[in-house]
Amino acid sequence: MSQKWLLPLLGYVAFSVAILSVPAMVGDNVFLLNKYARYLALALPAVALALCWGQAGILNLGQGFSFGIGAYAIAMHLKLVASASNPGGLPDFMGWNNVGALPWFWEPFHSLGFAVLAGIGVPVLLASLLGWFMFRARIAGVFVAIITLAMLVVGNLLVVDQQRYTGGLNGMTDLAWLNVLGLQIDPYSRAFYYLTAGSLIAVLMAGFVLVRSKFGLILQAIRGNPERVRYFGYDVARYQSVAFATSAGVAGIGGMLYAMVLEFASPTFMAVPLSLAFVIWCAVGGRQSLLAAAIGAVVVNAIQGSLSEAFLDTAQLLVGGIFVLVVLFLPRGLGGLVEDTATRLHGAGARLRRGREAVEKSVDLPVKRGEVAK
Amino acid sequence: MSAILDLKGLEVSFDGFKAVSGLDLSVGEGELLCLLGANGAGKSTTLDLICGKTLPTAGTIRFRDRDITEVHEFRRARLGIGRKFQVPTVFRELTVEQNLEVARSEYPGVLSTLRRLGVRRCDRLEEVLELVGLTSKRRAQASELSHGETQWLEIAMLVMQDSQLILMDEPTAGMTIAETSRTCELFNRLRGRHTLVVVEHDMSFVREIAERITVMHQGQVLAEGGVTDIENNEAVREAYLGSRGIAHA
Repeated sequence: MSQKWLLPLLGYVAFSVAILSVPAMVGDNVFLLNKYARYLALALPAVALALCWGQAGILNLGQGFSFGIGAYAIAMHLKLVASASNPGGLPDFMGWNNVGALPWFWEPFHSLGFAVLAGIGVPVLLASLLGWFMFRARIAGVFVAIITLAMLVVGNLLVVDQQRYTGGLNGMTDLAWLNVLGLQIDPYSRAFYYLTAGSLIAVLMAGFVLVRSKFGLILQAIRGNPERVRYFGYDVARYQSVAFATSAGVAGIGGMLYAMVLEFASPTFMAVPLSLAFVIWCAVGGRQSLLAAAIGAVVVNAIQGSLSEAFLDTAQLLVGGIFVLVVLFLPRGLGGLVEDTATRLHGAGARLRRGREAVEKSVDLPVKRGEVAK
Repeated sequence: MSAILDLKGLEVSFDGFKAVSGLDLSVGEGELLCLLGANGAGKSTTLDLICGKTLPTAGTIRFRDRDITEVHEFRRARLGIGRKFQVPTVFRELTVEQNLEVARSEYPGVLSTLRRLGVRRCDRLEEVLELVGLTSKRRAQASELSHGETQWLEIAMLVMQDSQLILMDEPTAGMTIAETSRTCELFNRLRGRHTLVVVEHDMSFVREIAERITVMHQGQVLAEGGVTDIENNEAVREAYLGSRGIAHA
């Protein structure tokens, strides 16, 4: 048991140390830091997906719904801060849309605390509701994927349609910097990078414990055979709803960081292609492990980033090709490859030990190992 | 012997076909009851009714003096009804130990499982592993087990769950003769501590374990009694393919 904990934990610690030491390596290149912070922010929805898809077997194709709500929640706050000097403190796009006064539901977003709470709480609440209805009715598999996808499309349409309150297709731009306790956090700074890396590490560590708790075990059992779990007395629908909602909250955190790193929120965050990309990152990394999903997101984004600098639009094609290759040859992703290699090495070591013991037993030397040297 | 389970006038129909019609059955505490009957007699459906997988169109189910006819499946499990399916259903991607941990469900709520580790060692776990002879395979994935071992693992899970009433659907299906006789031993160790309702076709196995047999035919109870009563019962012989009797069935 201790071994089963130790090796993965080492992986998590190594990853944490690695991402924390990035600023020391890139020095004062804040553009690079901003790019890496963006990759880390995008790792969060992949981790969220690994939690509900990899662990509980719930394929959420609409992860962007929660991601987008998180992004818009923090953007509303930062937009209000940036519009403080406007007449009535009204955001610019509202003026263009002939909105006279700040709508009531914008008011509480003057508070950063409320915005952060909403960025996590609203996705959790909506996912709990949707999850409750879906899983009570024992909807599973591809139907869950379709429903979540439909929810995403509805969210996207709503945001685009309610231009007066959301900025429509343009989204919300010219956001202020995050201001925590009088400290301005420039998205092109070490402080912001550490905020993102710290959030990711905190989520990963919490996830590490969650997956290895009995709760995590029940989720894995539900993924395998929900019916069987039910006959042991577990309320399967509740477990699924909790996993689905927790995952939505994590995606919300990712969305908040992503909006801050890009300094805008846009309906493309809630568009279908991005949500499908989350699935690809998660699958490439390996959905069975939260860490693998995070690494998958970072790696695919890094590849996509460097390829698009070199090949422009052809990069999409290459990334698609990588995905096809992974699905064909590494169905459990890069994480699965690492795991299999470790198991094989461990197995070979055990066989070697057994062989040596057998030889020692059968030979029965009068001199024991180590005695000759004395 | 007081009845732990009481079925009265149960009826179920699937698209007009009455799988169970007017079934009355009572099982005493600590008893081992065998359900016999030809294919389609309604044996598995009866188990489905007791564990809540199927809801009856008429009739009542009482468990420990409580009407559970409309109670949700997972709540019935919490009340103390365990079920072993005909096709062995274990969690193939989990290890033997993890399978047993899932089965240990004295605290099945989300908040209590969040506070507990994935696998906790305890004497009971060792005991149950020993009982089914899987101690050496505790860390093996369930998908690596043989068919017989998988059946035992599922039985072990039911023991771990510690249900008062255990429903078994063909526990020896697909087992070799040696495996079947080990299963017999297993059952003899379970009787008394648990109440068992076993659906079985293998007559030699039934002879080995049964105290009381209930024979079902067309969704109803055809006959009840001890092993010799049933084997000599004319109506049972009639129902089982002509007159050769169930000794050869």
